[in-house]
Amino acid sequence: MRVYVLRRLLGIVPTVLMITFVVFVMMRSVPGDPVVALLGDAYDEQDAIKVRASYGLDQPILVQYAIWLGKLARGDWGVSYMTGRPVLKDVLVRLPVTLELIVLSMAVALAIAVPAAIIGALRQNTWADYTATTIAMIGVSIPEFFIGVLLLLVFSIGLGGLLPSSGWTYLPGTCPTMVCGASLWGNAQHVLLPAIALGVGRAAILTRLLRASMLEVIRTEYVTTARAKGLSERPVVLKHALKNALIPTVTVMGLQVGFLIGGAIVVETLFAMPGLGTFGIDAIIARDYQQVQGFALLTALAFVVMNLVVDLTYTFLDPRIRYA
Amino acid sequence: MPMRSSRLATLILIVVACIVAAPLLAGAQTPKRGGTLRVSYGNEIAHLDFHTAPGYEMMWVAMNVGCGLVNITPDGKFVGDAAESWHTSPDGLLYTFKLRKNVLFHDGTPVDAAAVKFSIDRLMDPATKSGMRSFYDSVHSVEVLDPASVQIRLKQPYAFMLHMLAAYRTGLVLYSPTATQKYTLEDRKQGKPEAVVGCGPFKLVEWVKGGQLVMERFDKYFVPGLPYLDRVVIRVIKDPVTEMAAFKAGEIDFIASFSPDHVETLKAQNPRAQIMTGKETTPMLAAMKVTVPKDGKPMSKDRAPHPVFGDLRVRKAIGCYGIDRKEIVKIAFQGHATPWVGMNPPGTLDTVDVNYVCPYDQAKARALLAEAGYGPGKPLTFELMTNTEKSVFSVIATVIKEQMARVGVTANIRLVDKVSWMNTTLNDGPWDMYVEDLLSLITLDSNAYLSNSTSTWTHPRHNDKRTDELYARYARELDAAKRKAIAREIQEFFVENMYWNNISGSPFYMVAQPWMKGYVYNAEFEVHYDRVWLDK
Repeated sequence: MRVYVLRRLLGIVPTVLMITFVVFVMMRSVPGDPVVALLGDAYDEQDAIKVRASYGLDQPILVQYAIWLGKLARGDWGVSYMTGRPVLKDVLVRLPVTLELIVLSMAVALAIAVPAAIIGALRQNTWADYTATTIAMIGVSIPEFFIGVLLLLVFSIGLGGLLPSSGWTYLPGTCPTMVCGASLWGNAQHVLLPAIALGVGRAAILTRLLRASMLEVIRTEYVTTARAKGLSERPVVLKHALKNALIPTVTVMGLQVGFLIGGAIVVETLFAMPGLGTFGIDAIIARDYQQVQGFALLTALAFVVMNLVVDLTYTFLDPRIRYA
Repeated sequence: MPMRSSRLATLILIVVACIVAAPLLAGAQTPKRGGTLRVSYGNEIAHLDFHTAPGYEMMWVAMNVGCGLVNITPDGKFVGDAAESWHTSPDGLLYTFKLRKNVLFHDGTPVDAAAVKFSIDRLMDPATKSGMRSFYDSVHSVEVLDPASVQIRLKQPYAFMLHMLAAYRTGLVLYSPTATQKYTLEDRKQGKPEAVVGCGPFKLVEWVKGGQLVMERFDKYFVPGLPYLDRVVIRVIKDPVTEMAAFKAGEIDFIASFSPDHVETLKAQNPRAQIMTGKETTPMLAAMKVTVPKDGKPMSKDRAPHPVFGDLRVRKAIGCYGIDRKEIVKIAFQGHATPWVGMNPPGTLDTVDVNYVCPYDQAKARALLAEAGYGPGKPLTFELMTNTEKSVFSVIATVIKEQMARVGVTANIRLVDKVSWMNTTLNDGPWDMYVEDLLSLITLDSNAYLSNSTSTWTHPRHNDKRTDELYARYARELDAAKRKAIAREIQEFFVENMYWNNISGSPFYMVAQPWMKGYVYNAEFEVHYDRVWLDK
């Protein structure tokens, strides 16, 4: 197991490097020049040439990438062209907000998907199944921003400002700013609507998948055996059927992290949250290559690590699985 | 007799009522001290070096953290800021400012003549790369006469010196020499409070990009009793729907720039909201490229006419007669703008209505196109570039496309993001026509750097030196009546040559909660919180 984990961890390095390289090349292929955005009203071609040279932007792409990589090896993620702030510091400030959003939206997704899938599978072709399937279909079809706007209209405006429409309150002890009203309750209020907006679509996908797996599993012989042994329905479903049906679902959950990061960009923008998603989109719009690289590196790392965790979870769900 | 006593009783009642009500009424208008103003910006602040950062959002911070020599009121009068008085020499070459004695920077150092010289010299230094530098072209030098007197010597008379110092972009923002020399440019760009030291009513407390910007009252501000607020907290809400929701829920007190598309909805949702707008000072234009580099090298001085719009007949057919400005205003702005072909929007100093030069006339447009060789046998097609910064740009582009079809021309819309647009236009890239609203203009003079023949910001790249000569004459003319005549000449010249193709003014809105008091809409650039107080 230890060897397996080590091997996988080593495998992460080329994967992440590949992603950062692709992003590096793609960003430089996108029309637009960070120096134009940086100089703004003071733009002058002669100044622009000097600024490009000072940032090494006049070098060939491979040389630029090698420089970036060299700095990264020394723990230097670069500094923003626009603000001069260290990229690592900026992404670390924003990471907790996005992590919390992603974890909670996944929790929302599971809280909806697991019961809906179980009901749908156990009562196949009944009104309960049809309801769960239809809701899942609707959830898949509606984009995050639309659900987000609906939630805003209902909970922030319609119900007299029951929940805040935007902004962020940090968890106690995590506030990166000097002026900050951190509180658990405030944090819960701020994260609820974005987590639902982001989680509903995932819930729909997981419901459909888990329902199909459950249908397959509950017809297997070991479930029949469990029932024949006289076990009540509850342990049969939760212990024997669900645990095995979760394996493909967990795989998809790992892959869904990527979609959640993408969805976080939309949801964070809509709810004006100071997370990694808004950081990434701002960086791309401003062509702040250093910040985009930092964003890509961190999200790539999050994605591959999450998938490693998912793979390791298999051993818990199915003890027959062994890694060597 | 009873009649007389009843009148007397009524009179007494009125007097008593007035005596009782007077303090109450007065109390309702007496500013209250304290409180936090929660402000929403639609875009992120680029960075916090006020002398170099682009964008309105930075400017709105700069004019609260910083102070200058003079300010301008909404009706165009100049009032002293750090300067208590000033006078100009008869030849218009010397501006002498007498400074107030009690003005301090936030680090406790005095705002003296040396500090003024330091700040202007910094702006004029090419190494600073300030967007304000071109505005100081007329300045020869700055001299310290004594600690409280500073003199600006000009190379030639400049009629808009005070306008420039007060309100061209941020106006002159004075920097503490001590803090500026002690800390680096990077420190200021990052918004480190000890590095961003001005002399305005609020001092910077912190800026977390993507999070919030906090300013607090500067207790030693030179105007006694001001500011009223304890604190201003600014955060960015990019989505107008979220912004409206936050406003409706009372989470924010002030929206510094509100999307014109959503004004009616916000009004309906919040009947008590203060929706503020003012004179139209921002031009909404459909610019046409006039020349292209002959050698294919961007920004080359060797120019050739643009394949489509290099021909004045085509520019006039499309931009002058082919565009129905009234229809655009009706569709894109629901009538809340003025169709305006002149380059100086209707709310700008010395503006002239030259709409008569370009009446919407499809027949004339077709005739000019035919004269230029276009027609059914050789249809004209061009690319209409627009960007994603404001949704209204795309609406206007769509209407223009439809209007072009009416005169047999095909306009293909290309939608790009703002940086790509800037990159293409500033770097002399390939484009035919674009829709944009550029920036607020306080005077026609401030438009020179967007439209003379030499500026990088003159996107159409016309190379007509006459524009430079006209602008120079206008800026140097000290007689207001003569200046007005030159202003007319400039505006007619630009329309006749279609170097600048205006559609209308671009409306600008600010929105405040009913409890936000004391705020006066000045101009798009000018957002001051020093007299704001909260009545709640």
